[in-house]
Amino acid sequence: MEFLHTLINGLSLGGIYALVALGYTMVYGIAKMLNFAHGDIIMVSGYVILVFLSMTGNPLLAIFASIVFCILLGVVIEKVAYKPLRGASPLAVLITAIGVSYLLQSLAQMIFGADPKMIVIYDFGSVSIGAFSIEVKTLLTLFASLVVMISLTLFIKFSRTGRAMLAVSEDRGAAQLMGVSVNRIITITFAIGSALAALAGTFYLLKAPNMNPTFGSLPGIKAFTAAVIGGIGSVPGAMFGGLLLGIIECLCNAVPVLSPYTDAIEFLILILILLVKPTGILGKKRREKV
Amino acid sequence: MRKILIVEDDRALASEQRRLLQDAGYDADVLNTGFSDPERAARTIAEAMPDLVLLDIGLAGGSGTLKIGASGPLTGGASVYGLAVQNAAQMAVDEINEAGGLNGMQFEFSMLDDKNDASTIATNYASLFEDGMQVSLGTVTSKPGLEFKNLSKEDNVFFLTPSASADAIPEFDNGYQLCFADGNQGAAAAKYVNDNLAGNTIGVLYKSDDVYSTGILNQFKDTLDDSVQLIEASFMGETVASFDSQINLLKGCKFIFMPIYYTPASQFMVQAKNVIAPDAVYYGCDGLDGIETGVEGFDIYTIPQEISFLSHFNSKATEGPAADFIQKYVDKYGAETLNQFGAAAYDCIYALYGAMKQAIDNGKEITADTSASDLCDILKEIFNGGYSFTGVTGEYANGAQTSMSWNANGYVNKAAVKYIVKEAGATAPAK
Repeated sequence: MEFLHTLINGLSLGGIYALVALGYTMVYGIAKMLNFAHGDIIMVSGYVILVFLSMTGNPLLAIFASIVFCILLGVVIEKVAYKPLRGASPLAVLITAIGVSYLLQSLAQMIFGADPKMIVIYDFGSVSIGAFSIEVKTLLTLFASLVVMISLTLFIKFSRTGRAMLAVSEDRGAAQLMGVSVNRIITITFAIGSALAALAGTFYLLKAPNMNPTFGSLPGIKAFTAAVIGGIGSVPGAMFGGLLLGIIECLCNAVPVLSPYTDAIEFLILILILLVKPTGILGKKRREKV
Repeated sequence: MRKILIVEDDRALASEQRRLLQDAGYDADVLNTGFSDPERAARTIAEAMPDLVLLDIGLAGGSGTLKIGASGPLTGGASVYGLAVQNAAQMAVDEINEAGGLNGMQFEFSMLDDKNDASTIATNYASLFEDGMQVSLGTVTSKPGLEFKNLSKEDNVFFLTPSASADAIPEFDNGYQLCFADGNQGAAAAKYVNDNLAGNTIGVLYKSDDVYSTGILNQFKDTLDDSVQLIEASFMGETVASFDSQINLLKGCKFIFMPIYYTPASQFMVQAKNVIAPDAVYYGCDGLDGIETGVEGFDIYTIPQEISFLSHFNSKATEGPAADFIQKYVDKYGAETLNQFGAAAYDCIYALYGAMKQAIDNGKEITADTSASDLCDILKEIFNGGYSFTGVTGEYANGAQTSMSWNANGYVNKAAVKYIVKEAGATAPAK
């Protein structure tokens, strides 16, 4: 029973990591860049919820507003910071991404201050089946993240835009020759990634309600780890990696002896996986053409 | 050239006199030995061989007062602590003087502003020492205190700090603390658990990558009685994704020790409020001090469990010496600056008074002219010799205030108070 409880908690936390990891992995697959500002979108979504919740008191409206705001922010960041660097060296893009990350954190600190602010979006309470009691928000997070992941998979597989995304990630040049607008696809990718991050931010806020300007750093770095474990660039890989990392984290925290070493264990597993399979668990082997 | 020696305890006046006399063509000099050491003054006069001595009347050292100096933040962000110490120490000094002083000798307390800035301490200390400080309360806060302890060591000035709690403050043999040292909170908390929860199972939530938290925990475990079962849960990092696993581990506990800061504690409490028993007790250390207001949007009254932390003074006391102190303090200075700092300063003055009285009873001579260094040696002997003192801080149990004593390292040994921020099931007081 204890194990089942921990497993559900782990899956629910893993669902959040997976949502964020999807943003990392899709942007990497299509724009071939590591968007280190992605984690800070989570933080922005939290503050947007804070503002709208205190203005209207309506949690659904606040969540909707945060998704819209983050989509716009993601697109603006891509247009302003990354688009001019298309074709530049990967290092320049990476440094820019880190710069954007610090910019967002500093702006948040200027506007909202460094003090923690607690945001309780909605108190769902808990349900119990016999002796088994679990929080509704845990189940909700798990369920919602699974639905989002399934819809995203279907979208990529069967919609025109989705297949165009696949084509761009496979071979940007060839896709362009086939009439795919690469710039449009990259913009859409950033929009989807930011929407997922905003959603993840909402769920993360339900679990960890203390907002501060570095709120997004931890889930950001964990999700990036998850994306690498699963194989960066691979959509099912990000989902798998996220869920795996969430379960490992909750299992470690549930054992008092292992608990202080949770982070160490997570990164040890990352290293082991990369040693055995350098492209990640579901990563594609890329053949080097000579 | 004619030589004039100025003996004046007002330093501003003395230097002005010197300037005027020098301008008039005399070789003028100021005697500034602090007037607490007549032999040294006489020696200086003999060495200088002046043609004229300008002697002030009613010099501080000669008119029978013993000078106590201190430094603390009287302005700036931490001023609420410094003002509390100043008010309460002055209150204690006034009470002692009204009751006839120490064998007829009056106390004089003076405190300088350090803005909680360590760089001001060199100047403050020099001013206090030149002004004749014979014994000190050190500093109010830790960072300036780390500077103060080095300076006071050089001159061998005894200090008993009300609230500078860093472990290194009493590093030298002239420094003592009346508050718990940071690292000693673990032992004090374990003593509380041993006394009140023997035979029970308790939980602990600590932050495994924070030395404050692990330091307190290790000492807590060392002191904890074998009859107490301990369930440990830990977390790490500045933001915590979820306390689900930790709550799961601790959900059977009725008492949870929390040597962590209030930000993660508030998150844990919010997440655990429906899972942990509503009559359970959260017990923290000074890291939980300020939990009522520290996290914006966190309302302690939404938490059904009791929230408390280890302290050495109960600012809500309704009986015993603490209640008397609160009454007197609020009547005189209002409730705004009422806090544990003031109570500790009040105890410091009385503890020093008691120690000096005991030394006099033991045949030692303490007068207004005793030098800081001599007084320091006398006080060290008393504080090291099993001196015990009962004041307003420490636990009030079974109708009696418990006493405190000091060990050779300068750390205080007293029973901790469980300060209850909010009782179990309490609702917000009507505004």
